[in-house]
Amino acid sequence: MRAIAIRQDREAFKELFAFYAPRIQAMLMKSGAAGEIAEDLAQETLIAVWRKAGSYDPDRATVSAWIFTIARNLRIDRFRKDRRSQLHQVYELLQPAESESPDGAHEAVERESRVRAALDGLPAEQIRVVELSFFEDIAHGEIARRLGIPLGTVKSRLRLAMARLREFLGDGT
Amino acid sequence: MTITHHPGDEILAAFASGTLDEARSVVVAAHVSLCAHCRATVATFEQFAGALVERASPAALRPGALDAALSRIDADAPAAPVAWEAEPDCPLVLAPYPVGKWRWIGPGLYWRGADVPSGDGTRVFMLKAAAGSSMPHHGHSGIEWTCVLQGAFRHDLGRYGPGDFDEADDSVDHTPFVEEGDPCICLVAMQGNLQLRGLVGRLLQPFVRL
Repeated sequence: MRAIAIRQDREAFKELFAFYAPRIQAMLMKSGAAGEIAEDLAQETLIAVWRKAGSYDPDRATVSAWIFTIARNLRIDRFRKDRRSQLHQVYELLQPAESESPDGAHEAVERESRVRAALDGLPAEQIRVVELSFFEDIAHGEIARRLGIPLGTVKSRLRLAMARLREFLGDGT
Repeated sequence: MTITHHPGDEILAAFASGTLDEARSVVVAAHVSLCAHCRATVATFEQFAGALVERASPAALRPGALDAALSRIDADAPAAPVAWEAEPDCPLVLAPYPVGKWRWIGPGLYWRGADVPSGDGTRVFMLKAAAGSSMPHHGHSGIEWTCVLQGAFRHDLGRYGPGDFDEADDSVDHTPFVEEGDPCICLVAMQGNLQLRGLVGRLLQPFVRL
């Protein structure tokens, strides 16, 4: 990311593109975007990454989290049903001007290792329910139908996963 | 500022994912902008989402996608970020939306609407209540999420000061009481209607229509 920000390094950009564009596209398709729109949005996301590279702050977010937020905001903007919608701007507004943690540097890295530990410790079926419920915004009843499991199981998996996350992530600080 | 009431993890997860209804998101954003603790939680869910992206099995890109991106990266200059400014009394998160004027709706009580779209009929408005006043006793026909911006109120579940987030739904029936000191200003996302109780409430109801 530094290479992109400082030297406008195209080789670094190509690497980033090769890794993230197909994965962002996959994520967007999972959350209901048609193939072509997901392709466009994935491309837009990586172009925005190039342009915003200078404002990327490694203390605040890892590259993957930062790219996720860019894709999220572009998706919201693209899919707004109401032209009065400004939600993507609300997310932009929340970006703090500078890093908040007093000792700076390690916050994002620590967060990443805690999230990794949480993900590694969660059964795949629980991760799937979290993914469907929050990131793909599927109602619990529909999740039950899709996975062929009782509604109560969906709820208990979600509850277990959130409790586990909370345990791994401490107070979220 | 000591914030003691926060949105639940499920709400923050949906907010971080970008799947929460816009009207609700605005009130959550107002809280998050005031609460370092919840900013960290949101960042954690964003990291979680980023990790899921890393672990996703890649989709097939269309041929020439990278070249198309490369040809676009220096074609047009990036748009300058918008420098939003909030109206007086309003939180910054309302800056992108049209906001009405304060309207008197009852003794010591003012209402100010914000034009925030919602997919599920949730409306966003600000309420200002005089210090020492009590809000009409009321119930809800849907969710009512409140972020205190100034002053403080109390009800059965505790004291709510600046930054505090109050989550009520149709199971909650309460009479918030505004503390002495500053008038209390809140940002509210409300679904359905407020159901006022008692004689004063019933007299106000047709008039307030909140």
